Amino acid sequence: MEKTINRRDFIKTTTATTAGVATLATGITLTTFVNANENPVTNEKRWGMLIDTNRLTETDIDGMVGACQKEHGWGSDKLSTGDQKASWIKKLKVKDTATGRISNLALMCQHCEEPPCVDVCPTNASMKREDGIVLVDKHLCIGCRYCMMACPYEARSFVHEELTDQKEHMPRGKGTVESCTMCVHKVDKGEQPACVASVNSDAVIFGDLYDSSSKINQTLKKVQSTQIRADLNLNTAVRYSGI
Amino acid sequence: MNRWIILFFSLIMTGAFAHGQKTHSLGDEADSIKDSGKTYHESISVIRKMHPEFLNHKRDKTLREGVRTEEYSLKGCVTCHATKKDNSNDYHPVNSEGQFCSTCHKKVATSVDCFSCHRTTPAQGAK
Amino acid sequence: MSIIRYEQTQGKSLGFYALVAGLGAFILAALGSVYFMEHNGHHVTGMSNRIVWGMPHVFALFLIVAASGALNIASIASVFNKKVYKPLSRLSGLVALALLAGGLMVLVLDLGRPDRLIVAMTEYNFNSIFAWNIILYNGFFVIVGVYLWMMFERRMNKYSRSVGIAAFTWRLILTTGTGSIFGFLVARQAYDAVIMAPMFVIMSFAFGLAFFILVLMASYKWTARPLGDATVNRLSNLLGVFVAAVLYFVAVYHLGNLYLAENSGVENFILLDGGIYTKLFWYGQIILGSLVPLALLYSPATKGNRTMLGLASVLIILGGLIQLYVIIIGGQAYPMELFPGKEILEGYGTIASYTPTLPELMLGLGGVAVAIIAITYLVKFLPFLPESLADDVVDPHHKK
Repeated sequence: MEKTINRRDFIKTTTATTAGVATLATGITLTTFVNANENPVTNEKRWGMLIDTNRLTETDIDGMVGACQKEHGWGSDKLSTGDQKASWIKKLKVKDTATGRISNLALMCQHCEEPPCVDVCPTNASMKREDGIVLVDKHLCIGCRYCMMACPYEARSFVHEELTDQKEHMPRGKGTVESCTMCVHKVDKGEQPACVASVNSDAVIFGDLYDSSSKINQTLKKVQSTQIRADLNLNTAVRYSGI
Repeated sequence: MNRWIILFFSLIMTGAFAHGQKTHSLGDEADSIKDSGKTYHESISVIRKMHPEFLNHKRDKTLREGVRTEEYSLKGCVTCHATKKDNSNDYHPVNSEGQFCSTCHKKVATSVDCFSCHRTTPAQGAK
Repeated sequence: MSIIRYEQTQGKSLGFYALVAGLGAFILAALGSVYFMEHNGHHVTGMSNRIVWGMPHVFALFLIVAASGALNIASIASVFNKKVYKPLSRLSGLVALALLAGGLMVLVLDLGRPDRLIVAMTEYNFNSIFAWNIILYNGFFVIVGVYLWMMFERRMNKYSRSVGIAAFTWRLILTTGTGSIFGFLVARQAYDAVIMAPMFVIMSFAFGLAFFILVLMASYKWTARPLGDATVNRLSNLLGVFVAAVLYFVAVYHLGNLYLAENSGVENFILLDGGIYTKLFWYGQIILGSLVPLALLYSPATKGNRTMLGLASVLIILGGLIQLYVIIIGGQAYPMELFPGKEILEGYGTIASYTPTLPELMLGLGGVAVAIIAITYLVKFLPFLPESLADDVVDPHHKK
């Protein structure tokens, strides 16, 4: 082999070696991760929830709120007061003025098919996933709160203070907007949202609205149900019976 | 004119110092992986240069598309690169002074925005 | 009619520096407030998850709406060919840009993540009227900048009409867009109304002109330049017409809402039993902000009196701020109708409370200060102000 090497050969050899190493290196890393789903979600499924207010008790709803808080790490605002506190899911007590009948229900983000919050977000932070779950991409959120103005259910909360000790699956930060994610991190693993899992009856059913063999699809075909503010034609994923 | 060229070059050269930077603490799990001779991700020079891009692509894949693999996940970085506090089972926040992220980032004066929202220590209940 | 000579202001007097110092103090207070709010988080403000837009937005929207209206004078000259307004065109463009800068500053600094402004400029959702507004505001700077250039540079003067028409159209679209920020929100009873868009356009006429008149009279008084009645009386009459027009749109908006049974709740709230909001509406917006100024502008006892005109302009501005407070905050305070025909006993449905805090107020005032300081300095750097606006200079048909 020659002692000296000219520039052209040097560049050729280096590029070839680097390319080779790089390919090998990526090859090594790729082989270690085969567990989780590598494919993007599609619109073959649409996740939905049915809340039966006839069967849902106040204790159930308190449980739902507590489970959501525990799962996502909200509910212990140190400095925010009153309406500044985060509120991803609310307990509502509704009375029919004509008949006097009282219903209790849980109100969270309704995961509309035509979400007003997604329409109005200037940066595309408020988004709808292919499978219908509506989320806030907090990497893009500038904290303008227009989505909160637009939401017909006041489902969203703005983080009014510095946060620490977030759950590792639920990043939350000061100055961004957040709301119920339908426990997307659990749904993607094949589990149920925390609020649904916390209720020990069929008062809250969760599942794929498009799957005709799913419990929710079959129940919705049999039992009367409605959307809150149905006149807005948002086609919400969360439906209620008994109101 | 010469003054400007000198200033310009010295600023660029400072960035090069980051590449020679040895992190004070690689992280408990990362140390044990390194000691065992295995590689977990690309070489140091690649990952140092490319980690913002890797993370940017991964965040969209996870959040917008639901792909929750470990490759390039920020949660994955934190799990390996966090160091336990002395005599305790608690971890130092991975972005605090003297810990994994800040040693390089302080040198090149680039702010790390991730941890205003993301958890700074491995998941609760992790070993 | 003589040729108009434009001259920079001296800008060396004690009064000038006192003004700048005073405004500077307001701006520093605003920046301090921003640091305080951003560092601690919005929990230090009166805003909450029910009242998401507060005092800063009242000021920001006022300044933005007034900005588009301040351009009216230049438009009347270029687009509608009224030569009497021609000498005022340069100042009109300047006031428009200054007000918009002040308004945008307040809006951006109240964001939860103002460090992400670049994201707002690069990730666009074209379905969002908010995103469209960002494009419209930036375009306004460009178009009015070009317009001013056409007016300043003699050989470009022949283009000032066409650019003026473009600027006029752009500002109409801009203000329609600003009104639509609210008008497109179907969720809330107070906002779901297409009339909000043209109402904002008419409000811009009144607020912008009131601000312009104050700037004009103050700058001519403080630089001891002649300002004739021909100009002032014309502007005064125009202001009266605009205020009356705003009253008309407010009436149509509320009557329309009252007619629709589904919106009667929010109408009762604003017009009758909303506590502070009702008081602000009737005493602040209608009486103090519209009826008293109309009386001052048209009553034979006060017509033609410049102090009264100044007072009327100040009242119109205050009334405008109050009008935006009632719209923005009153509209949010009233709960949404989630269950028609049902009463919510617990969990939602109360009138949300809001108490503005000092940092919010200082931020808003800082925006006004930025607008005024920009005008103060720019009339010194460039010849925006005619040397004289005396009647014989301005009015082609003036009889000596």
